[in-house]
Amino acid sequence: MIRTPLRPLARILSARERGENPDAIERENIRLRAERSAERLRRSAERRLYVMAGFFGLGFLAVGVQMGALAASEPVEPRLASSGPAIVAQRADITDRRGRVLATNLLTHSLYAQTRDMVDPARAAQELAKIFPDLDPDRLTRQLTDGRSFMWIKRRISPEQMQAVHDIGEPGLLFGPREMRLYPNGPLAAHVLGGARFGTEGVHSAEVIGVAGVERAFDGWLRDPANGGAPLVLSLDLSVQSAVEDLLDSGMKMMNAKGATAVLMEVRTGEIVAMASLPDFDPNDRPAPLLKGDASDSPLFNRAVQGVYELGSTFKVFAIAQALDLGLVAADTMIPTKGPLVWGRFKINDFHSYGAQNSVTDILVKSSNVGTARIATMIGPERQRDFLTRLGFTEPTQVELTEAPTGRPLLPAKWSDISSLTISYGHGLSASPLHLAAAYATLANGGRRVTPTLVHGAQPKGAGEQVVSPEAAAQTLAMMRAVVTRGTASFGEVRGYRVAGKTGTADKPRPTGGYYDDKVIATFASVFPVDDPQYVLVLTLDEPVETSGPEPRRTAGWTAVPVAAEVIRRTAPLLGLRPEVGVEPEVLDGVTLVRN
Amino acid sequence: MSYLESNLKTVPVGWRKILFINWPLVFLLAAVASAGFVMLYSVSGGRPEIWAEPQMKRFGLGMAVMLAAAFVPIWLWRNLSALGYGVALVLLIAVELFGDIGMGAQRWLEIGPLRLQPSELMKITLVMMLAAFYDWLDVDKVSKPQWVAAAAALILVPTALVLRQPDLGTAILLLMGGGVVMFAAGVSLWYFGTVLAAVGGLVFAVLESRGTPWQLLHDYQFRRIDTFLDPGSDPLGAGYNIMQAQIALGSGGWGGRGFMQGTQSRLNFLPEKHTDFIFTTLAEEFGFVGAFSLLMLYALILGFCLHTAMSARDRYSSLVTIGIAGTFFLFFAVNMSMVMGLMPVVGVPLPLVSYGGTAMLILLWAFGIVQSAHVHRPR
Repeated sequence: MIRTPLRPLARILSARERGENPDAIERENIRLRAERSAERLRRSAERRLYVMAGFFGLGFLAVGVQMGALAASEPVEPRLASSGPAIVAQRADITDRRGRVLATNLLTHSLYAQTRDMVDPARAAQELAKIFPDLDPDRLTRQLTDGRSFMWIKRRISPEQMQAVHDIGEPGLLFGPREMRLYPNGPLAAHVLGGARFGTEGVHSAEVIGVAGVERAFDGWLRDPANGGAPLVLSLDLSVQSAVEDLLDSGMKMMNAKGATAVLMEVRTGEIVAMASLPDFDPNDRPAPLLKGDASDSPLFNRAVQGVYELGSTFKVFAIAQALDLGLVAADTMIPTKGPLVWGRFKINDFHSYGAQNSVTDILVKSSNVGTARIATMIGPERQRDFLTRLGFTEPTQVELTEAPTGRPLLPAKWSDISSLTISYGHGLSASPLHLAAAYATLANGGRRVTPTLVHGAQPKGAGEQVVSPEAAAQTLAMMRAVVTRGTASFGEVRGYRVAGKTGTADKPRPTGGYYDDKVIATFASVFPVDDPQYVLVLTLDEPVETSGPEPRRTAGWTAVPVAAEVIRRTAPLLGLRPEVGVEPEVLDGVTLVRN
Repeated sequence: MSYLESNLKTVPVGWRKILFINWPLVFLLAAVASAGFVMLYSVSGGRPEIWAEPQMKRFGLGMAVMLAAAFVPIWLWRNLSALGYGVALVLLIAVELFGDIGMGAQRWLEIGPLRLQPSELMKITLVMMLAAFYDWLDVDKVSKPQWVAAAAALILVPTALVLRQPDLGTAILLLMGGGVVMFAAGVSLWYFGTVLAAVGGLVFAVLESRGTPWQLLHDYQFRRIDTFLDPGSDPLGAGYNIMQAQIALGSGGWGGRGFMQGTQSRLNFLPEKHTDFIFTTLAEEFGFVGAFSLLMLYALILGFCLHTAMSARDRYSSLVTIGIAGTFFLFFAVNMSMVMGLMPVVGVPLPLVSYGGTAMLILLWAFGIVQSAHVHRPR
């Protein structure tokens, strides 16, 4: 660098000659030099500023380009590589025959802690205790700080609780999706649906396992992803089921019964339109099974399927149908009914005497044990056992419930002559109400065997073994109609729907042997409308007492029949049956109440 | 030329100063902060009382602080620089000595009001101190080794203290912010080259040290590096933030999902949705258009600051403005880069948008100093 001297001798000398101050020249030169230096500095600083602005610009460019690249990218969810075998979620829905939902899934969340990621376990515990009052903050703090790395806090939390937990701002508190089984109708059809619980639990999902009812019976099907989310369509009709349960509940209370059950079945297909058992429960919150005492006292007990009872006089229909089928009797054949009928050391008696002899029809109408037993003697034990087997009374029902195999009928150890006599009027053989409904449906189906089912559209129509000839079946139905018009079930008449049926009142056996005097199972098994049988209704009350009269009345005619009639009155329109218009109700010629 | 000479020229005085405030800059800051309010409202699920309202109150306070700072003459700020630096340093040491302040762990969360103070303050006071230092130092001595060493010491002492807390993000910001001022002051480029080479060596050493007894970083810091290099390697653990943030950005696309419609943040997939990772919510709900608009707002703020720096007549004004602008740039550039996977995750909030009180107050105070430099420029 060429430095200009501050006091150039030539200029100073010439200035001196002119008499000027040479210091001014030096000042001038210093000023120029300072200016140049400042200018250089300014330029340098400016250059640096531009460089910096360039860097800033590059930064902006990088950020902007990345922004555009990400905006243009398709988001890809990260795949879990190390979360173990996937737990199959998405259990299929269950619907009724019209597609109304009976069971579905609800997405909730579980809450768990990864203690290694926690910032302040003590504070988190305090805050959690505020959200979930059942948690103890001190205990929770201990658990969170005792060295474990993972801990479940809540298995199921609501969205509000989830937000509240999130607002704690604790990074170690995490949520996992959790599909929960939901029964939107509460206790409706509880015994059919059963219930579900969590199986294998993971952080990202939890297995839902059916524990009872169709949930368990179809567990594999419901969880099979191959079904493509198709629902399981049951044969139940939600509206009918609801009406049946309502009426059964009020009927049970009115008749002071401790339990009740009803099965409403389509005659031609065996599809169960409604099945109720009281007391019931809410499958969303299944009660624990009883650990002691009688399992049949638990609300979980499905009386319709699991409860095997001596069904009493309702069985007389089968003896008569078989006798008609075999040609042993005709409807107007007179049978001696003078009691008692002595067989070995047994005596069979009627409620009261029905005279020396009665027609077969009247035996059913008046429910004569003696007359039925005499018919049974004509049939004989082997043919009776064979007939009842073909009606399905010797095996558990094949209905699609986990509980079905436990409803195994109780048969006599030795099917002797006396057994065949008592079985003919419904003692000595215990079966479930569903058995009875299926057998009645068989008679109503022109004698073709009907198998009960809970799945809609599963069985081909009309396929079934011919158990009774159509003529014998029709004659039996006609007699059952007479039971309603002029017999023990006169309260069963529902105007326009032409109900046929048979009552049954069976003494309950004591656990210690023998029978109770004042505890009965009252049953009404009915078919309607009788001239074109469509539906079978079996309604059973456990220990009913009707107390409106001067004496307590327990027979089915006073207890089960009025309730069943009300059920038919309410459900027949729901089932799409039209009442027969213009037909006057048949005049009841005096109500006769007959025991057994 | 120093401010004393400038003083002889016309400088606005009294209430007239309000006319000389850089109002466009004020409006830009308000615009960015408003974007923040909107996003905080959105991530809170429409409950303003959780984050948006407190943030608005603090912004109001911060604006008052900024205007007050703008009225204080820039030469007064210059004379206070050393004092401010000293105070911040003492506070940092106090944190080190008495600070059982929960610094040991998470910085991705707000933990009480005590979290940010000394290190946040230091970001600004360091810039002021360096600007004052180079203003005082003779221009010819700027690149002399002993004076470079002095400046480096001014930077490294607080950086070391912050690193000990440990707060890697703030330490990096301090280092780079100081570097910006030194670069602008005209320190020879050789020094920068040397430092860059040394940093490269250090990075190598750090990576080599992993798993040895003399390991130089925490395990979680190493994990962050791993995560940066391959976020997909641990999508549920260390890489979770990054992966989810990138999903959010990607699902926002060009136009976004719409206000309050972002699923990633609203369904709690995103951690730190209201603090460090708030940008992802914005990008998801308003898409590229929204995110780029925010970027442009930041760019304009930076532009105004650089303009102020270039037109400044004295060295302190120029350097302090550049330093503050640089720090501001580093804030959001680091935040956005880290969210978008251009950088490892270091806990740096998005300035003026992320939820957080002290950081915003201090930043607005710093902009007050920039305004002061602008107002007190001789005209």
